[in-house]
Amino acid sequence: MADPSPQPPPSASTQSPLQPLQQLAALTELETPSVAPSVSKPDTPGPTATATPELISAPSPAISYTVIVPSFSAWFSWDEIHDTERRLLPEFFDGKSTFRNPSSYKYLRNAIISKFRSQPTSKLSYTEARRGLVGDVGSVRKVFDFLEEWGLINYTPPKKGKEETEARGALGKKDDSSGKRICTSCGAGCSLQCFTTAKANMTLCAKCFVKSNYQRPGLSSADFKRVDLLEEPRPDWTDKETLHLLEAILHYGEDWKKVTEYVASRPVKDCIARFVKLPFGEQFIGPKEEHNGYTEQGGDDTDENESIKRRRLSPLADASNPIMAQVAFLSAIVGPHVAETAAQAAVSALSNLGANEATDLTTETNEEHEKLYSTPCCSVDGCGSDLSNCRDYHRRHKVCEAHSKASIVLEEAKNRGSVNNVAGFICCLSLMG
Amino acid sequence: MKSSSLAGAIGASSRERERASASASVSSIKFRMPTKEKEKESLIPIHLDLDLDAHRYKDAFTWNPHDPDSLVLSFAKRTVKDLELPPTFVSHISQSIQHQLAEFRSFGGQDMFIHEKIVPLKLDLRVNNTVVRDTFLWDISNFESDPEEFAVTLCNDLDVADPEVAPAIAVAIREQLYEIATQSVSAVKEAKLGKKGRRGYELSKGGNNALDVSRYFGSKGSGVIRKRKDWYMNGPTVDVLTNEEVGTLEELNSRFRRKLDEKEDSFLQG
Repeated sequence: MADPSPQPPPSASTQSPLQPLQQLAALTELETPSVAPSVSKPDTPGPTATATPELISAPSPAISYTVIVPSFSAWFSWDEIHDTERRLLPEFFDGKSTFRNPSSYKYLRNAIISKFRSQPTSKLSYTEARRGLVGDVGSVRKVFDFLEEWGLINYTPPKKGKEETEARGALGKKDDSSGKRICTSCGAGCSLQCFTTAKANMTLCAKCFVKSNYQRPGLSSADFKRVDLLEEPRPDWTDKETLHLLEAILHYGEDWKKVTEYVASRPVKDCIARFVKLPFGEQFIGPKEEHNGYTEQGGDDTDENESIKRRRLSPLADASNPIMAQVAFLSAIVGPHVAETAAQAAVSALSNLGANEATDLTTETNEEHEKLYSTPCCSVDGCGSDLSNCRDYHRRHKVCEAHSKASIVLEEAKNRGSVNNVAGFICCLSLMG
Repeated sequence: MKSSSLAGAIGASSRERERASASASVSSIKFRMPTKEKEKESLIPIHLDLDLDAHRYKDAFTWNPHDPDSLVLSFAKRTVKDLELPPTFVSHISQSIQHQLAEFRSFGGQDMFIHEKIVPLKLDLRVNNTVVRDTFLWDISNFESDPEEFAVTLCNDLDVADPEVAPAIAVAIREQLYEIATQSVSAVKEAKLGKKGRRGYELSKGGNNALDVSRYFGSKGSGVIRKRKDWYMNGPTVDVLTNEEVGTLEELNSRFRRKLDEKEDSFLQG
């Protein structure tokens, strides 16, 4: 049996939460409070016209927040007990009770305030506070209510007045961080959804939740509630941004990170989504110009088309990306019409996702599409002959009689639009992961 | 009246003891917690363990029975709101608290005898990730004792990181002291009813919580040092568990509880 010698107690039981707060006391610069004297207790702790919130910076090891204390509580100091406190909580100071005395009051008060200030963005609940405090819950309740009423905890300055805007300017970063949820365990920002629990006042991102990375073991997955964070409605893409995007794609190909950097204002998903929704080259560039490999190529000569498109198609079919090869294969199997419809549906669903707008297409594209679908015409480039007279088969496949007699390869290639659409869609999906 | 007669009966035999021990207070005193609060304000431990609607609420804290009873309801409401429990909990919580308060108050005004008694107290609790185990001796005739101070000192000395451990320790100590106090009251009642012999009464009082100190500390003359075999359990041990260990512990606990419930049910039926 090992000899259990008693551990030597540390020389000074310093309470670490109090140390940065002692620095805080030194840093506090109190201007002469311009508020009503402390004799009168305000009925509503909301600042009146005369109250000016003062900023006290509280440096803490990890993140520094600015904590606002209303000026009617400017008398507060860590080491002392003010008259206000003595007057309003007499049971602690009249000596009648052995467990309610000044030192226990000070302990409770400082502990509650430092607990709140360790996470100033979230509201400290009474239950959370009393759990970590030694003492009877009635006393804790009294002190807690007192501090809350006087704005020393759970105080957020209301939004009004010019003074407020100044304060809020300084707090801008803090507000952002409170608006955007941050996961308490991994520190990453939660954008899509987060899981909160009130029991321990925690917010977890989806990854940590799935990993069951709860800080406290007393929690189970049932304790968490899912909160879907609304994404901000994204403004429409301007032409300039679209141009940037196309340039970037021309330059960088499929490296979406670089493309996103180039198009500075949009996140990756937006870029991809926008690209997928873009109609292919035709209305931006004349039908006969060459463009990069992803847009359709105009061509007047069907033979030229054939060979070029064959060349075009084969890279797709041979692509090291197995998904693309599958897509090419599938779309060839199901037939152009089905593939095209599928692609259309996917693109429209994509555009509806997260936004309440209709499809993103420009008006030009709309017109073009309407033209395409309303009056059947041959979709071979350079031949836009009207198909209303042709047989149903021709109409379905959007091929005029002359071109319908061409080879199969041509037919596939003719509908490369849809192939590319599907491919683009799948590519987008896989990238968005 | 009753107490004085009893006191008189005991007085003869205990007078010698009184002379021997300087500070022992043998005369009966009114029921109270043997801690440093004044008589009317004993702080009592409240224990809550509710399981409704698949929500489990387990809590233990210190309550001042002198607080107005309106505080019970507002406390229950506040807790339910803070922990987002279903509202049915409010009535259950307040009922439970009031039941325990009433129990405490029923003891009030009754007599208890506190000799100079040293009692072993045990700590065996788990708070979040920290497990604390300890056994120590407590003098229950010392009405200056402060479980809160003890708890805070223990946590500071052992560098316990979790702030929720200290109140749990304080409550655990209070619970045991409360039990001892109530036992001494019931022992007084027994004595009155059973009218045991004067000497017999003294010895059997209090459920023999007291230790024969000399036996405990080794009989070989060095009456100060504990027996070696008892060394291991008399120092505090603090373990910090990982989350998985805690998870398995809780699973075992719940399985055990379920088995107990099943046994109870079968026993009641059968």
